[in-house]
Amino acid sequence: MVKQTILHDEHIKLGAKMVDFAGWHMPVQYASIIEEHNNVRNNVGLFDVSHMGEIFVKGKDSLTLLNKLVPQDISKLIVSKAVYCQLTNLNGGIKDDWIIYKLEDDAYLIIANASMTEQDVNWVALNKGDLDVEIINESHNYSMIAIQGPKACDLITDLGITSIPDFFTIKKDVINNIEVFVSRTGYTGEDGVEIILKNRYAVEIWNLLLKKGQVYGVKPIGLGARDTLRLEASMPLYGNDLDESTTPIEAGLTWSVDKDKSVDYNGKSNILQHIQNGTERKLIGFRMIDKGIARHEYEVWHNNDKIGVVTSGGISPTRGDNIGLAYIKTLDNLSVGSTIQIKIRDKFYNAEIIKRPFIQKRNKK
Amino acid sequence: MNENILCTKTHEYLLENNGQYEVGITDYAIEQLGDIVFIELPEVGTAFSKNEVFATIESVKAASEIYLPISGEVVEINEEVVDSPELLNDDSYNKKWLVKITSTADQLEFSDLLDYSDYKEEIE
Repeated sequence: MVKQTILHDEHIKLGAKMVDFAGWHMPVQYASIIEEHNNVRNNVGLFDVSHMGEIFVKGKDSLTLLNKLVPQDISKLIVSKAVYCQLTNLNGGIKDDWIIYKLEDDAYLIIANASMTEQDVNWVALNKGDLDVEIINESHNYSMIAIQGPKACDLITDLGITSIPDFFTIKKDVINNIEVFVSRTGYTGEDGVEIILKNRYAVEIWNLLLKKGQVYGVKPIGLGARDTLRLEASMPLYGNDLDESTTPIEAGLTWSVDKDKSVDYNGKSNILQHIQNGTERKLIGFRMIDKGIARHEYEVWHNNDKIGVVTSGGISPTRGDNIGLAYIKTLDNLSVGSTIQIKIRDKFYNAEIIKRPFIQKRNKK
Repeated sequence: MNENILCTKTHEYLLENNGQYEVGITDYAIEQLGDIVFIELPEVGTAFSKNEVFATIESVKAASEIYLPISGEVVEINEEVVDSPELLNDDSYNKKWLVKITSTADQLEFSDLLDYSDYKEEIE
């Protein structure tokens, strides 16, 4: 059965075009994906991301368990801080990507991808063993609203949030006497926050944000623009750019992996080997030179050899060209500036490997 | 849309005009696609059989193949929409055909085409 978020009827009222995504009936666009994209870059946009999973981990062995699950060193996380992580399998392949928040000592919140949440909970339980930990999947009780764009912080200040948390920090606050978590995170490359709250308050807060946001030109934003925004910011999408056969090192996420982490974790030996010896393939960013749009699973060629595959591709409304992410063989003669070919409908289109992210991110304040 | 168009179940339309046919996609198809960002059309002089892919239209989300409703030869392409694909989304733009074709198709090729009112019932 296709699931609905608490905000489902609000999307219908706003005229959204709805699609099935990851088992959820979600808004793909309200009016125009490009207009919604630009509104987040220039003003502020609201996203219903209530389909995402909320998993609470509590108990005195919480840290030990989490440290076993991800390559990041959770012992370095102080209360109120968040870290971007990968849930790795025994080979170091990525089962999901997460944000872990440390709410208090021995209490953490995991934000997981919607379609992976159940699998993740089972995997965490499997890894728990005799540890003194409670794993509570609260996904069905919580909603999540992302407020993203250069005017996002102005908007939530108007809602009575007294002090906006720093980048990758979470705090409890109150809006209209409603208790919420406010986190300075997002999936757009823009400044902004994500509000996590109990389901029964979601409609009230969503409509309050739309009303108070009018002066800032707020718009509701669908999954279509969420995808173009995250691609420009070069943020990976699980299932497209990341999967169980890919390590964080191949995925270009070495920056997020703790090389000095002393304790063992799932997949550690493979991941360390990938860091030391390099990988046979790697994630790169490219822009189309010829007029054409690269899409998921299109082939990448170089000198008459197939060297890889596109994992994400599309238009970049901000840059005004077409961009993409691809896994290619690690070859000495291929680096930033090299020309590659994307095979589109049996024809070859030139593209150039370029630095990521594709745009200047504005979220690190 | 012009009430005289014939439509396919895959949302192309065909309109006879002075011995030629204009071929495009229906207003419903445009609405479903959303922002159109890329249009690839064949060269003038190319011949296609009925239901053969003759064009590709890409929205932000995906690429869609466009099928020729009847067999024919391309005699003109709409360069304006190739240069500015977003014109297809513009309600005030009235030249929404993709190609013009000549055709010697027999009646059989028309038998599965729907007139506009039947098409509208079909999509409801």
